[in-house]
Amino acid sequence: MRSKRSGFSSTCRVLAAAALLCGLLPSQAQQPPPQQLSLCMACHGPQGNSQMPLIPSLAGQPKVFIENQLVLIREGLRDIPQMKGMLDSLKDAELVVLANYFSAQTPVRVETPVNSVTYQRGKDTAQKMLCASCHLPDYVGRQQIPRLAGQQEEFLIYSMTQFRDHAGLGRDTIMAASLYGLKDPDLADLAHFLVNFK
Amino acid sequence: MVQRFALIGTLLALGAGQALAQTTPTAPAWQQGRQASMAESKLAPHAGKLTATGPADIPIQNLKLPAGFKAEIWSSGTPGNRAMARGESGKVYVGTRGIGRVYEITDNGSERTSRVVVDKLNQPAVAMHKGSLYVMSIDKVLRYDGIEKNPNVQPVDLTAKFNLPPEQHHNWKYLRFGPDDKLYVPFGAPCNICVLPTDEYAQIRRYDADGSNMEVIATGVRNTQGFDWHPVTKELWFTNHGRDWMGDDGPEDGLNRLSKVGQNFGFPYCHASGIADADIKKDKPCEGVTPQVQGMGAHTAVMGLQFYTGSMFPAEYKNAMLVARKGSWNRIQKSGYDVVMVRADADGKNAKVSPFVTGFMDEKTDTFWGRPTYLLQMPDGALLLSDEQLGAIYRISYAK
Repeated sequence: MRSKRSGFSSTCRVLAAAALLCGLLPSQAQQPPPQQLSLCMACHGPQGNSQMPLIPSLAGQPKVFIENQLVLIREGLRDIPQMKGMLDSLKDAELVVLANYFSAQTPVRVETPVNSVTYQRGKDTAQKMLCASCHLPDYVGRQQIPRLAGQQEEFLIYSMTQFRDHAGLGRDTIMAASLYGLKDPDLADLAHFLVNFK
Repeated sequence: MVQRFALIGTLLALGAGQALAQTTPTAPAWQQGRQASMAESKLAPHAGKLTATGPADIPIQNLKLPAGFKAEIWSSGTPGNRAMARGESGKVYVGTRGIGRVYEITDNGSERTSRVVVDKLNQPAVAMHKGSLYVMSIDKVLRYDGIEKNPNVQPVDLTAKFNLPPEQHHNWKYLRFGPDDKLYVPFGAPCNICVLPTDEYAQIRRYDADGSNMEVIATGVRNTQGFDWHPVTKELWFTNHGRDWMGDDGPEDGLNRLSKVGQNFGFPYCHASGIADADIKKDKPCEGVTPQVQGMGAHTAVMGLQFYTGSMFPAEYKNAMLVARKGSWNRIQKSGYDVVMVRADADGKNAKVSPFVTGFMDEKTDTFWGRPTYLLQMPDGALLLSDEQLGAIYRISYAK
């Protein structure tokens, strides 16, 4: 795992250098300051691949999704105690640089045992609820809609429970309504299927 | 909620049989009534942008207007900006949705500056009246007295007086004071298509400025996001969003006219100009329903409506309507993403729609860069147009 990670960051450096050479737009090529990145990665894991059950992975999330969430969290619309104050000093342009960075990272899922019965139940529920309509059939997300494949399982359960039980400010009414009526075991099935989706 | 969804499920099962068997009774608000044939559809609402966009990243040169008209960037850097209200001193207040802010934009002649008056609100809209700024969100009503002179004024909380219902979907606000000094505000249907959970939704209300004397003036209104009063008759004209998942070409969004208080505009049984709903059925669904004055295209998301009363534009614009269409999501080929001019007789007859501002969308690639939402007429007769996508306001002027 460790060698995998360092291989990862050297790839990343090569990519970043290539981006600079190719003359991409500054906002796309620009890297977040190292101290900012290490702060993010302290919890969200190497290159935003979380190693902790209740912390979401950021790697490979759609850029607009990360951008929007960073704004909502900074503004206090999404109330996440662990994030409180962390983004206060950051301007929109800096949030965009962070979003660009994490959306460009390759997601590396944490391998955990798959329970085929739970997986199948989750798959059926996902089909019934038309999750793929917005999150796309491979659950990689798009635009404002997050990637679910490879996410931390406990975090997905937590997040879906939040949506279902408290519509919450800054959260679109669409997703808040999307899980309406699902029971806790349904959410657990869904999460197991989605994180292990292949 | 539980009863409502259960009821829809029953109706769907009874009314549409097998074709709708896959429609889950717990369908999210935005996809209730979705047909089984559309189960594979990947249509979804488009992403808003919550970060500031600088003038250099706004391709305003792509906009096309009739000869003699010009569009320029009036202000930018106010993400999510929607409906605008102008104070007597010239400050412009702007509401938003997801980002929860109310902006104040100050014009010092050569440039505009903005500040956030209040944030962390649940999809707030604004109105100005007798020197006070009114802010209404899904769950709160605030009044800022004399805010133009006193930027730090603390708001008076009027929430309790307005008795706001709890549902959120389609209950983001549009707010205006009418010629009768009353505050007009819509309460949308909390779903794509459903039997209403209570009679507090799918309607337009008016209140006295302090929240008293509430009166429902129109029912069966699914989701109006803009209205204005006819300059001569003083009747209320309003836009209304048609339902989704009933096909690419219907039912059309509409332009409506309220000729009598209490008129019913059809939701959920009857849409547009006499189209029975595919899911929620009853005998004679369109009986007693006031049809729309003019169809505005299916799924185009018809928003702000402004009767033009200025003298800057050519004579044919006098008392004509300018209507912003934010643009579709529930349609395979995108449509809308423009501002149109609508001329009609005062009784709604002989309505004609013609393009006014286009170029927000590229038909060839089926992509868009901006979403025109609201219009505001300035004292000199120019129009301000808000672009919710890029958080900018454009000024549209005319010179021979």
